[in-house]
Amino acid sequence: MTNSLNDMRHAQLMIFIGSNAAEAHPVSMQHILHAKEVNNAPIIVVDPRFTKLAAKADEFVRIRPGTDCIFIMGLVNEIIEKGWQDKEFVATRVAGFEEMAASITQYTPEEVENVTGIPAAQTRKVAKMLADNRPASLTWCMGGTQHHIGSSITRAFCILQLALGNMGKSGGGTNIFRGHDNVQGATDMCVLSHTLPGYYGLKDGSWKHWCRVWDVDYDYIKGRFKEKKWMNAKGFTLARWYEGVLGEEKIDQYTPIKAMIQWGCGSNSNSQYNRVVKAYNMLDLFVIVDPFPTMAAATCTTDNVYILPCSSQYETSGSVTSTSRQIQWRHKIVEPINGCRDDYTIMQDLVERLGFADEFYKNIKEIPEDITREINKGTLTIGYNGQTPERIKKHMENWHTFDIDTLQAKGGPCDGDYYGMPWPCWTEEHPGTPILYDVSKPVAEGGLPFRNRFGLEHKYEQSGRTENLLAAEGVYNPGSEVKGGYPEFKDVVPGTNWKTDLSQKTLKEAIRRGMAPFGNARARCVVWTFPDQVPIHREPLHTPRPDLISKYPTYEDQPNHFRVFTRYKSEQNPDLVKNFPFVLTTGRMVEHMGGGAETRSNKYLAELAPDMYAEVNPRTGNNLGFRDGEMIWIESPEGGKVKVKAMFTERVDEKTIFMPYHFGGSLMGESIAGNYPKGHEPYVVGDSANVCTNYGYDIVTQIQATKDGLCKISRA
Amino acid sequence: MAQRKIRSSSSVGTKTNRVTLNPKVARRSFLKLSAATAALTGVAMTTRMTAKAATPAATKAAYPGTKTVRSVCTHCAVGCGIQAEVRNGVWIRQEVAQDHPVSRGGYCCKGASAIDMVHSDKRLKSPMKRVNGKWQKISWDQAMGEIAAKLTSIRDKDGPDALHLNGSAKVSTEMAYLQRKFAAFWGSNNVDHQARI
Repeated sequence: MTNSLNDMRHAQLMIFIGSNAAEAHPVSMQHILHAKEVNNAPIIVVDPRFTKLAAKADEFVRIRPGTDCIFIMGLVNEIIEKGWQDKEFVATRVAGFEEMAASITQYTPEEVENVTGIPAAQTRKVAKMLADNRPASLTWCMGGTQHHIGSSITRAFCILQLALGNMGKSGGGTNIFRGHDNVQGATDMCVLSHTLPGYYGLKDGSWKHWCRVWDVDYDYIKGRFKEKKWMNAKGFTLARWYEGVLGEEKIDQYTPIKAMIQWGCGSNSNSQYNRVVKAYNMLDLFVIVDPFPTMAAATCTTDNVYILPCSSQYETSGSVTSTSRQIQWRHKIVEPINGCRDDYTIMQDLVERLGFADEFYKNIKEIPEDITREINKGTLTIGYNGQTPERIKKHMENWHTFDIDTLQAKGGPCDGDYYGMPWPCWTEEHPGTPILYDVSKPVAEGGLPFRNRFGLEHKYEQSGRTENLLAAEGVYNPGSEVKGGYPEFKDVVPGTNWKTDLSQKTLKEAIRRGMAPFGNARARCVVWTFPDQVPIHREPLHTPRPDLISKYPTYEDQPNHFRVFTRYKSEQNPDLVKNFPFVLTTGRMVEHMGGGAETRSNKYLAELAPDMYAEVNPRTGNNLGFRDGEMIWIESPEGGKVKVKAMFTERVDEKTIFMPYHFGGSLMGESIAGNYPKGHEPYVVGDSANVCTNYGYDIVTQIQATKDGLCKISRA
Repeated sequence: MAQRKIRSSSSVGTKTNRVTLNPKVARRSFLKLSAATAALTGVAMTTRMTAKAATPAATKAAYPGTKTVRSVCTHCAVGCGIQAEVRNGVWIRQEVAQDHPVSRGGYCCKGASAIDMVHSDKRLKSPMKRVNGKWQKISWDQAMGEIAAKLTSIRDKDGPDALHLNGSAKVSTEMAYLQRKFAAFWGSNNVDHQARI
């Protein structure tokens, strides 16, 4: 998130779309409700379901799944139409606004109503509320991203906040609430198939940078790959790795995938779970590393599977990055319980046996602190430099000295620092950046302009106009040597730039001159490298509105999409809805987490939430002839089916079915608890929603589209 | 304690009897555990409510000779503080972190039951391997030796891209970094984690 949970205390309005914070991030609610009660800030919740968060809303907007983009761009259009945009902000800090505005005029409130089901008057009302209450905080979660146009939807959210001038301000921001406890840290370290740590990418320069950090020859790493071209090619993703095993889709790799290590990764979080299970059973080697056996241990029934019991994160130590970009030190509470080993020990053993320990651990002696130091050394792009292990631990020891409203330490050993030194934290003296893109503070004190990343100017194909991409005159952080936009820093140390200068002299030089190492530019509304330069609506692949396909078609099929053929156009079958008339969407419940391997093995949580269920509108159930609490079948177009308990509720409308995705341990209605190691099956088992989540992947990121599929239901 | 009352068996997976705890005992021990938290089912608290909940009795070490360790909850990305009381190497009591600047003593039911991540009977305590369709306990040395040998053979025969590593958003940043670095040194970009899904 650009701001922090605590900073939401300063919001004048909060809009949530595809987020159910009351269940998924419950403790954040104290800050949200503070703003509601103390600032009288309205809460707007946009969701297909009347969630527990919606129960706290002043305005609940029920939206058809998968139509977020047109609703948000419709709001932007309405705001521009009425002249409510922040004209000063747009003129000085935003790029491509005219081109964006010109391309969305067809998204009138009436057209938004036609596509989303949201009454035109409500779209107008929400636009007015946003115009009247600034700054507003905007929050989304997986409800916004898990669509085949997820990358357009998230950009639409950013454009809305730019138009309103809500960026870089306390109480504003795009505040994505991240799911797993360290998904921010793991993402920053880029456990991702398309980039090296710190979002450096996979170009030759990226590899050379990290080889310098690792203190190994570039040629050594190159020699580890089959051929150099595979170093630069994005790998299979978690969303579709199994296609590399199955051999049913065309893959762009010289070998099928034959071995899999799942290290701290729940198995039943994957959509198309039946295909995942099939792939498990075709592997030559499958290694599960987890404190509890995941559902993979029960669905993979071949002899090629191992489980390594790693300790929980309370039995090891290291840093974790919260959704507010705060880095905290998770101290070891107890030693790994008898028989288990911590992650670091398992990794070291594996690397030693594979024969590259000398190179791998060249600068790592003290674990985990030396790893933190290596991260500090190399992750310059996002400013993971100043958060040394010593500083992070000092913050933990003194967490009581930080102010709840500003997150800044008032006196004490951390005086002036922001809690957790939210990145970027450029140097060991830097306090961290509590709010991204805030030009009201000096860079040395946590201020920041927008990054200059996409050149100095751009000619738009939409308009023929050429625009300077740097910020306008007069936009700068206090103390800046340049009183307006400026490009990124380079050649302070000849031949390097701010993100490759390992001496970090460039960072220090920029800060000394009151400037941001990455320049001072404009935020873009037009992304010329994306399939949709301006976010536009496209109907979900499996749509309940086939009449809209011709107007809002999906993309062409994509060969070699992260090494696998991915269907779009050929998958968008207008007749599907005839047999699969309900929209299927998934989400979280407060008692469980992720695939549930941990929480369904926790006796307290197991008791609180022992049953898998599906939310069904009572009218739907009554029309189909089953009753509340009865077992029903839910079937997907791909042939996946689950047997779950019907829960009658008006949280969902008549066309929508909701399932939580935390359950596992039974498959297609049959318990497979007996397949777990004896005595280690979870307390709670139930069918996994992801057996039914449909085919569909984001065009840019390949995130799975689990929120807008189709299904049919019947009494079991 | 409550653990003994749990009827864990293969009947766990049957359709009707999925509540496997003695409700009275489990409920009581759960409430004891979370005596100072009101957020049992995720209904959030205002600061005033948490301040009231954190009575002096609840924040004081309950047992002599304990040390308090500050840590961070492992469930969602809010990053709530945990104060763990440890005695003779055993985590004996979990306390809210009333003065944590973000969570301010708040917990949801998952955070309130964090201690069971360590104490759960369901934790695996030995490497396992499936042999002729049945799970078998094996030593760490055997497990790691066999896995490394198989990986090496697959790498030699099929190339490094024949392996996919699903890393994790549930490990420390340092460990996540090692997972990405491992893929690089192994020689493949076939590495990914939950942020993709």
